[in-house]
Amino acid sequence: MKILLVFTALVAAACSEQLFVGDQVLRVTAGDEEQMALLRVLGERAELQLDFWRHPSRPGLPADLQVPFPSLQEVKTFLESNNISYSVMIEDVQELLDEEKKTMNKSRRTERSTSTFDFASYHTVDEIYDWLNVLVADHPDLVSKLQIGQSYEKRPLYVLKFSTGGSNRSAIWLDTGIHSREWITQATGVWTANKIAEEYGQDPSLTTILDSMDIFLEIVVNPDGFAFTHSSNRLWRKTRSINAGSPCVGVDPNRNWDAGFGGAGSSSNPCSETYRGPYAHSESEVKSIVDFICGHGNVKSVVSIHSYSQMLLYPYGYKTAPAPNHQELNEVAKKAVSDLAAVYGTKYTYGSIADTIYMAGGTTVDWAYDNGVKYSFTFELRDTGRYGFLLPSSQIVPTATETWPALLDIMVHVLEHPY
Amino acid sequence: IPDSGHKYYLQFTIEDYRSGENAGSCLATVLYPKTKSAPVVNIKCLHTKDQKQIQDEDNRLYQHIRHQTKPIIGNNIPDSYGNIEPALEPVWALAVAGSSYIMWEKSTENLGYSMAQVKSVKQWIRKDDFIEFDYTVLLHEVPTQEIISCHMRLTWLPGHPMKVKYFCASETQEIEDGSGMEPGSAAGILYGRGANF
Repeated sequence: MKILLVFTALVAAACSEQLFVGDQVLRVTAGDEEQMALLRVLGERAELQLDFWRHPSRPGLPADLQVPFPSLQEVKTFLESNNISYSVMIEDVQELLDEEKKTMNKSRRTERSTSTFDFASYHTVDEIYDWLNVLVADHPDLVSKLQIGQSYEKRPLYVLKFSTGGSNRSAIWLDTGIHSREWITQATGVWTANKIAEEYGQDPSLTTILDSMDIFLEIVVNPDGFAFTHSSNRLWRKTRSINAGSPCVGVDPNRNWDAGFGGAGSSSNPCSETYRGPYAHSESEVKSIVDFICGHGNVKSVVSIHSYSQMLLYPYGYKTAPAPNHQELNEVAKKAVSDLAAVYGTKYTYGSIADTIYMAGGTTVDWAYDNGVKYSFTFELRDTGRYGFLLPSSQIVPTATETWPALLDIMVHVLEHPY
Repeated sequence: IPDSGHKYYLQFTIEDYRSGENAGSCLATVLYPKTKSAPVVNIKCLHTKDQKQIQDEDNRLYQHIRHQTKPIIGNNIPDSYGNIEPALEPVWALAVAGSSYIMWEKSTENLGYSMAQVKSVKQWIRKDDFIEFDYTVLLHEVPTQEIISCHMRLTWLPGHPMKVKYFCASETQEIEDGSGMEPGSAAGILYGRGANF
């Protein structure tokens, strides 16, 4: 009986939420035959919707009775006025069901991660770094891992290279996790890396792209900050570099680039979240990318991924003057945003950084653009503020899934417009 | 507007913060005077939810909180992974409502806010019918990107204006009073899309 009830409860709970909020289970002990009779009569009153999990069998033996919230008052009064002893065994049936659902989910999650990587949950720096090796091992002909430098706290800075050969081919650069609290970005980076590896040879557009271009993807641009969000402050944004003469730590890596460095939207105060740093490229996390892209010499597109706001942006952020090819960039953004929305209906706005979000000097894409990379974009992923940085992990795969066609649109455009 | 200030014309849809369903649309004008005094707001909304519906939801929310056997306490809502425990969701919803008063008062032409997280919450049991909570909420400020910590004391009874008293860390020592002037509805409509901060 109890099994059937719990099963029904679970099914009901799965289909419609909150069916048993406030319901209690009382352990009732009838002292003699008279009390037993009273209890049975109580149970027969259909309007109370009582349910015996364990029926009253003999005086002195406990009976377990589930009482819906609206009937609680009456039942307890009845028991008390008839001197039938009882105790509250379960204070809230719904809470118990919720707990159970949670535990079930948790164990399911652990199972998935021992055999395959769980793309639907958030991971630590170490977990991601370990997985990079797994990805390379699974796709040795396509993917390799490069180290482009070290973070302030001496963590390696890894970049995945997706290449089908050639020598110094035109390349597309993607990065995620420059601002450590934007967890959806590193998670999207991991999913996307996996997607690229899987879709080569399957997706016609991606295959054509990789047959003549390389893709570089740095998933954790700011590993020190990221580790800090796990260990100490979930809302940490900057790097973890010590600022001489200040108790405040860190530089905003997206104000540290040499394009409009020191301008509007960046701060000279080390305690500020938009502190630009003592000088452009002071942060090793930034310098490493600068050196890589300049050293490579053939990067044709830079896409830097942030959250949140649901926007697709292009230069400039440090000035209001439009970028020379802003019309083209606008068209590309328009198509990408439309294809993104086609997946789940998620609406993005788009435009130049200065027009669409706010003025900001020293950003990644402005630097890339001013250094000859014509197709530079910044994504601001989900959401628009309800969860903000604390986006539930259930949204990781949907976010990455909808962003993928937008990324493809950009990459296809770059492929079809060589320069 | 020369010699006067900046006037914004807004058209936006509103949605139920908890369910995400469309709840209507609004037309508004906001005039930020050159003098930097408080903005002048004119707003007209078409609500798709009727008063009765809103009242019922308010009462349900209220009853759920009232019939808890112990004072509600919690922290990090949502947690680092974006999870909100079902039992604490109503408390989070109230925090959003209360924070909106704080954000309404703090916002300027150039500064906007979102509620990033409820750092901690503690319920104060009262002898009367009002429910009362003590919150520490974290507000995300744009474009500065700062996280502002605010201490918020919230009192509410359905059908009554929500009373909000707050003190945000970046301000001076006085307690600010963000009490509403109209009946507050915790289950009601809060956020507009379209206004770009």
